[in-house]
Amino acid sequence: MATNTLPLLETGRRSIARMRRLRSSGRWREMTANQVFLIPIAVVFIVLYIVPLVQTFYYSLTDFTGYSLDVNFVGAANYRTIFTDASMLAGLSFTLLFTVGTTLLITALAIPLAVILNRRFFGQNFVRSVFFFPAIPSIAILGLVWAYILSPLGTGVLNSVLEALFSIGPYPWLSNGTLAQLSVIVVGVWGSLGWHAVLYLAYLQSIPADYYEAATIDGASRRQQFFHITMPLLTPAIIISQFLLVTGGLKVFDLPFTLTSGGPGYSTYTITQSIIISGVAQGRYGQASALAVVFTIAVGLLAVLQLTVSRRLERRIT
Amino acid sequence: MNKRTSPLTSVIMIPVACLVGLPLYYILVNTFKTQQEMATAPLALPQQLFFDNYQYVFENVTLLRSFSNTLFLTVVSILVMLFIGSTAAYGMILRASRFNRWFGLVLMLGFIIPFQATLIPLYRFLVDIGLIDTLTGLVLLYSAGSIFCYFLIQGYMKTLPFEIIEAAKVDGASVFQIYWRIVLPLIRPILVTVGVFQTMWIWNDFITPNVFLSSPEKKTLVLEVYRAVGEFTTNWPSFMTLSVIVLIPMVIFFVLTQRHIVSGLLAGGVKG
Repeated sequence: MATNTLPLLETGRRSIARMRRLRSSGRWREMTANQVFLIPIAVVFIVLYIVPLVQTFYYSLTDFTGYSLDVNFVGAANYRTIFTDASMLAGLSFTLLFTVGTTLLITALAIPLAVILNRRFFGQNFVRSVFFFPAIPSIAILGLVWAYILSPLGTGVLNSVLEALFSIGPYPWLSNGTLAQLSVIVVGVWGSLGWHAVLYLAYLQSIPADYYEAATIDGASRRQQFFHITMPLLTPAIIISQFLLVTGGLKVFDLPFTLTSGGPGYSTYTITQSIIISGVAQGRYGQASALAVVFTIAVGLLAVLQLTVSRRLERRIT
Repeated sequence: MNKRTSPLTSVIMIPVACLVGLPLYYILVNTFKTQQEMATAPLALPQQLFFDNYQYVFENVTLLRSFSNTLFLTVVSILVMLFIGSTAAYGMILRASRFNRWFGLVLMLGFIIPFQATLIPLYRFLVDIGLIDTLTGLVLLYSAGSIFCYFLIQGYMKTLPFEIIEAAKVDGASVFQIYWRIVLPLIRPILVTVGVFQTMWIWNDFITPNVFLSSPEKKTLVLEVYRAVGEFTTNWPSFMTLSVIVLIPMVIFFVLTQRHIVSGLLAGGVKG
């Protein structure tokens, strides 16, 4: 069937090309009609991405406050300020800590979890659903609920449970800088672990069982099978998961904001919170924009870096 | 891989899952308790089913309005995004000119430019055109997501046989008729997948409504919960009840669409 129709289609396509060449005015009309379809996305791209990005860059070089019309060009002064401003530096360092922490922990936990979830066992569906569930609701709501659970008062849920079971505490989960940072990272891991495990699981299930059978016949141990079959074939999933974790981590806002509002002090302040507070609420457009520019460049560089590394990895494996 | 069930895995994983799910159990179970009972026995099952919290929340929170705000925002934004994304993908496969290839590469920037980088000028832009603190303004902002839709839809369109479009052209259909009558029905599976992912994004979004909406009557469900924290500081069971009520639509949505979520994860592991 297919082999018979192909040549016909081929001649059809050639005759259309001939027709097109003959009626060049009709072709012109068709061409413009085709380009019409690209107009909406071009408008979106220019209005919502390019123009604001250029404006951010322009603001970052001025002392614009949003109110006064007297705008002066201040060169790199805003860029110097952001690297001396305590709140912005705190935002920068916690965002990096959160990104590195969640990426490492989730990757280290999600792959073994996916391997386990891929086995058959009693209660498999229950376990899968429980791990995946935090990915469904808004992380902002989960952050608010966790704020109740981790409440540093003696009446906080975790503290009262620890008190009842081991008679220890109360611990200042959210009111001590280091503990608050740790809490945000742990809740972040709790929130995304299942999602990434399911991502790995989807790829695990596409590995043919024959590979493992052949390896078993050849006398490979379970450990060898994991490192020589499973891990290499999971590379695409690892690349995607890492990319999502790193970019998502750098852009993080909802969870620390709802869980700790950036506190205590500035210990869980994020870059995004810094941009919003200083830019929208305090009218420090110049500094907020400078921070946004630095942030965009960092995200862009990381994306390009990850793309190159993953291309190279993929080529080595396939 | 192996067909045998492993009891050891169950013995280890079920308690671990219970621990991971404990916060969710905690929220749910405390919605049926009085404040006193919650303080004395936070993790126990309720002595009797107590529905006053639900009654209190429904009476004191404008749930219906924030639900319809969220629904409006999500539905309209998804329709706009799918329309823009699919027309763009169609326009791209119609002609493989050098300009279009270049344009496609430039659009990739939309993936890299974070929302944070455009937030301040966009805020001023919405103020200037008078759409700040309006749901329309939010729909406008969410249409930025069409770039993401475009890439997924375009990837799917490439797998369709181009001959169908040519055959329709020979039969005298215009490019618009082909888009509406042939291309749209053919790409329905990817429209559903993309729609599901974008729904989860918009429905759960916190940052955009929190920055761009201020009037109480325009609150979305997530904002409703966020602002309730201040009002319900001492009334924890009511807060938990509100959270549970707000979670329900998303859980139903998830149960209905989980097939598409898994296929979306495989199609290219879209957002996390």
